[in-house]
Parts: sequence; C-alpha cells; structure tokens
Amino acid sequence: MTELLIAVGVLCAINTGLAVLLMIAEATINRTGTWRITVNGTKELTVTGGRSLLAVLKEQQIFIPSACGGRGSCGLCKVAVLEGAGPLLPTELPWLTPEEQKTQVRLACQIKVRRDLSIRIPEELFSVKQYRTQVAGLSDLTHDIKRVTLTLLDPPAITFKAGQYIQLEVPPYALTDEPVYRAYSVSSDPCETGRIELEIRYVPNGICTTYVHRHLKVGDAVTINGPYGTFGLQPTDREIICIAGGSGMAPIQSILLEMARTGNPRPCRYFFGARARRDLFQTELMRQLEKSLPNFRYIPALSAPDPEDNWEGETGRITEVVDRQVQDASQAEAYLCGSPLMIDACIQVLRAKGMPDGNIFYDKFA
Amino acid sequence: MRETRVKQSLSDDRIQDRMRPGVITRDGMLGEDRRKLRDILDADDAAVRRLGLTHARIAARMRELRDAGARGLGEPIQVLGHFEVRVDSVRGRLPCPFPHPGLCRKEFVEVRNLRSGEQVMFTELNTHLIEAHGFYEGAGSPFRQDPEALARVLELDPDIPDPGRAIPS
Amino acid sequence: MQQLGFFAILFSAVFTNNILLTNYLGMCSFLGCSREVKTSLGLGTAVFFVTAATSVLNWLVYVYILVPLDLVYLRFIVFIVVIAAFVQLVEMIIERVSETLYLALGIFLPLITVNCAILGASLFMVIRNYTFWQAAGYGLGAGLGWALAILAMAGIRQRLVQRSRVPRGLEGPGIALIIAGTMALAFMGFNGMVSLN
Repeated sequence: MTELLIAVGVLCAINTGLAVLLMIAEATINRTGTWRITVNGTKELTVTGGRSLLAVLKEQQIFIPSACGGRGSCGLCKVAVLEGAGPLLPTELPWLTPEEQKTQVRLACQIKVRRDLSIRIPEELFSVKQYRTQVAGLSDLTHDIKRVTLTLLDPPAITFKAGQYIQLEVPPYALTDEPVYRAYSVSSDPCETGRIELEIRYVPNGICTTYVHRHLKVGDAVTINGPYGTFGLQPTDREIICIAGGSGMAPIQSILLEMARTGNPRPCRYFFGARARRDLFQTELMRQLEKSLPNFRYIPALSAPDPEDNWEGETGRITEVVDRQVQDASQAEAYLCGSPLMIDACIQVLRAKGMPDGNIFYDKFA
Repeated sequence: MRETRVKQSLSDDRIQDRMRPGVITRDGMLGEDRRKLRDILDADDAAVRRLGLTHARIAARMRELRDAGARGLGEPIQVLGHFEVRVDSVRGRLPCPFPHPGLCRKEFVEVRNLRSGEQVMFTELNTHLIEAHGFYEGAGSPFRQDPEALARVLELDPDIPDPGRAIPS
Repeated sequence: MQQLGFFAILFSAVFTNNILLTNYLGMCSFLGCSREVKTSLGLGTAVFFVTAATSVLNWLVYVYILVPLDLVYLRFIVFIVVIAAFVQLVEMIIERVSETLYLALGIFLPLITVNCAILGASLFMVIRNYTFWQAAGYGLGAGLGWALAILAMAGIRQRLVQRSRVPRGLEGPGIALIIAGTMALAFMGFNGMVSLN
C-alpha cells in the first residue's frame, strides 16, 4: 500500500514541479506584459501584448479596415510601423510592394505585440467605431436585393457622410467557423443618426449575402463598423450626373435624400441601369424626390425589357442612354456606382462628352 | 504514431484549409472531394495533358471570351461567331487561397456555345486558379471547372503535346 | 562500457551508433520534415536541445528519485512527462525567438514529444547503466546525430528535386526511404569503431 502511495506521490510531485516550471517560463518568455503603442506620434495606448496589432487596436476602439477578420488573406489592414515591429513575416511579404516595405508598412493582423510600438495610421480611421445594432426591418426590393434596416444600440448614433459605407460582420453560421466582414454602402439619410439602411444583393456562393438573405431575421443582433470611404458629393455648384446599376443605388440614394433635405439647388440627373422592370426598385422614392428637389430627373434605363413590362422609358445599355441624353458634360460632375465594367464604360462615354477626369467620382470598394 | 503527411506539405494543408466552406466563399472550393489538394491538382493536370492542352491555353481562352463579352455590361452578347457571353460582377474582391498578393474581382462569366447548346459558368477567380495554379476546384464544388467540359464548350483544339509538366511549380 | 569516456560516447552516438540511422528511431518527423534545409536545421536544433537536456534530467530523476524509492517501473511515464514539459518550453522559446521558424515547423514542433529518438536516448542510457557524464555525452551525441542525419537528408532531397527526375511512383516517401537506407548503409561503415555495449 505504501509503495502505491509513494509511486502516486512521486508522480504527482514530478508533474506539479514541471507544471510550475512551465508557468514560470510562460510568464517570462512569452512576453504578454503590457506595452505602449504610440499612434501618429500623439496618441498613446497601453495594451496587453501577445496578440495581433489588429486585435489590440480594435480593443482600443481603433478599427483598421479588414475584410478577412485578421487571417492575412485580404491585405487591407496595412499600417506603418515605425518602431518595434520585428522581422517581416512570410505571410506579409506577398501583400507588400517594395515601396511599402521601404516605408515600413506592415499587416496589422500578422504582427504580434511583444514590445513598445510606434505606428502611423490615416487620420480618418479615428472616427471609425464599432456599433452594436439590431435588425429593425428586412424587405425585398427586387428578386435578389434586400433592404436591411438596422437600429443602432451601442453607441446609439452614427455620424457619416452620404456616400460612405460600413462593414458588416457576419458571425459564424451553418458552414462557416469564423466571422467575415463585407462592405455595404449606407442608403439612408445621414441625418437619421439612430438607424441605417443597407441594400444588399444576393451573390451566388456569397458568405455574407447568403447570411443576410437566408438566415437573418428581424430582431437579430448585428455588429458593424464604420464609416469608411471617400465617395460623396463634392461641395461645388456644378451640374450632377449620377449613373448606377443594381446595388449601386445605395450611396446615390443617400446623397439624393440629403440633397432634398438641405434643398440643394444643383441640377441633377440620375441614370439607373437595369435589365427589366423587375430589377427596378425605389422608383416611387425617386418620383417623390423629383417633386421635392428643384431640378432632379430620374431616368431608369432597361436593357432587355420583357414584353409584359410595357416599358415606355429609355431602353438600351446604360452607356447608350447616357450617350443619347447628355450633350455637353464639360461643366458637370459625375458620380458613378456599380460594377467596374459599367463604371469603366461610362467613364469613356463621359470623357467623350468633354468631362475632365478630375470631375468623375466613383465608388469602387478595395 | 501519427501518419506522416509526406504526400502533402504543410503549406499545402494550409492552402486546402482556405478552400473550406465559409473561409473565402460560402460553399468553398472543394465540394465533396475528400482527396488531398496535391491529388486533385495531379489528376486535373493529367486530364489536361490527355486533352493535349495546357492550363495556360485554357485560361487564355477563358479570358478571350470574357473580354469579348465584357462589352455587354452585364447583358448577353454574341461574340466570336457562335458564342453567347454574359459578364456580370458584384462588389467586393476575393483573395486567392494560394499565398500570394492580389485579390480577384467577383466577376461571373456565362458562356453558351450556340452550336452545341452547352453552357459553362466561371469566375475571375476560376480563371486565375487555372492559369496560376492549375486548380479546377474539387468534385462537387458549385464552381468546379471540368477540363473536358471547358475544352468541349469553349472549343479548344489539342496542342502539340507539351513534354514538360503543365503545372507551374 | 564503464571505460568509455564522455567524448568517446559522444562520437559514437553521432556516427557509429546514430540513433536514427542505426537504431531507426525518430523516423516520423525525419521523413515528414526533411524537404528543406532551413526547416530541417530548425527542427534538428530543437530535437538536439530537447534530447541533450532531457537525457541529463531523466538521468537525475532516475538515479535520485526512481531508484532509491524503488519506482524504476515508472520510468516510462516519468521520462515522457519530462520530455513533454521540455518540448513545451522549447516551443515557447522558438515562438519568441523566431516566428518564421515557428510557423514553418507547424505541427512538427509539438510532435517532437513523441519522437522515439528522444525517449530512446533516455531508455538506452538506463539499459546501459551510464554514469552521469556518459549519459550527458550520449544525450548530446544522440541529439547531434539525429540533427546531422536530418540535415544530410534535407540536403540530399533538396538537391535531388533540383537536379534529377524522380519517377512519379517513388515521389515523397518512396525516395525518402531509399535515401535513408542508403545513408544507413554508408554509416554502417563506421561499425566496430566503438562499441557502446
């Protein structure tokens, strides 16, 4: 009996001794102590180390853009690390150009905080916040576009400019294991600070759009962060030409709503391209805006209307319609939102009509 | 003792991990295929060589049809004789599961061969995966590109057989 | 065996009785992680460190705890526990010192724990009744020998991929085992120089 006790005792003693040794080692070697991060030379943050710079900054309410949630597969979280970064990792190399490497640009999701750091980030990122929201409404605008209305819970208000976008976090669901982030333009008026509206089009095999179209329900909690983006109305007096297709409607809608509320007198034409009548949406809203804005015309153009549509409006591809309707664009500004193909083709048309490149603005996500 | 993963290197495992459902796309790029990535690549490489083609040629043909169809701006148009092509895209970009920089646009190309009536659908990511990595996606994946089907529908004629390996290393 | 000094044992453990090529212990990561010289160097160093340190530690535990308390039969469990703890330590050190190496080794780093060569070194030293310095020499030598073998294998495999065309059926484990066998044959030439038993 005593032999058994001695045996068990010795084993326990050895195991405990080794465990204690490892705990000491972990505390000293792993460097998960507290470190100081200096941002843009002015702001100082005290953080606990051992995690990625992206995660640590997020905790400090500084949101570096990221579409992949920190897995090193989107290359969006670029940050200039002036001091304390350590050697370049093989996971970062593919995403950094030689100039970026020279200017000490790194991927925030791949750098672990193990010592004091000094970093530099664009000033706009300081106004990006994370918001806890709740789904207040879900409705179908067309067969593949859903309108999602979110009420902001915490913080309860968001400040953004018409034309900016937010990033929506898709939590793990069905087949996915980790959260994913996707960007969507806000379609509501910025004056409504307590709620935002998004227009989300279903993409085959899309992680986020499948979640929104098939799984999201009214009352669900949704995390978003933002606002991001530089697309928006320029403060000039020039005539406005808007061209959009599909879910490109969102930022233009936000801009128009703000124009209506502020009584902006600038002449504006909005060309919206779709295939058939069933792809048109928010038409009533556009007609209302035609009444409330002093000089606004909504021009939907169908490229392949069904016979039952009884369509009497403009037909043809959006580029043809713009070409027909716009004569001299040299004094106007253009705001384009849609697929890169459409945007590139429209830029060609506008250039041919005399519009200088500096007056053409478009929304192309990263 | 653990089975040695000699057939597939550590980095191949990581790449295959990124092809799982929900990491880059909803259904992933492997479908119901249970084979290792190396095996999938080897099998499709052999299939392409049997057809007397190379990955580069297949990808070039896909790009040719895509470029011709881009003028349609999302509408189907008839190009290169008897092909009807529709090129559409949605917002956002996708990374490639293989470790290198650059993101692919989310662009979809539908090609219908008007003579045979057959149709294929591929994305910009598909074209890149074929061109740079010889990857046609796993069996059962919604965007699986079967080399034989591509060769038939896109009308790719066999080359003079290439003595070297088709997959770039 | 009592006559063999520290250096004699060290030398024989590296060359004439190489724990991998003569005793065939530690083949798992040897075959799985020997494609590149860089990773093999890292892994070899890790295994060397663990083998050397655990041989000494295990000797101390064996002679001062297990033998006096008549618990010799516990040696298997105790040795493995000590090895496991040490591998955790090495993992932490590697992660701190070189993240690149840590990522490159991946799963093979914790797999060092079940590397037969390491347990084998400790058990051999018990079977052969080594003194402290003999055990130290043997641990160092076995680790060094293992590292040498995997480095040589990596060098050969790297060259092989560049210079020649391996038949498709032999790619991977096939050619690796052939190389290992050829290396073992070469090391057999050292036979008889020093006898460890």
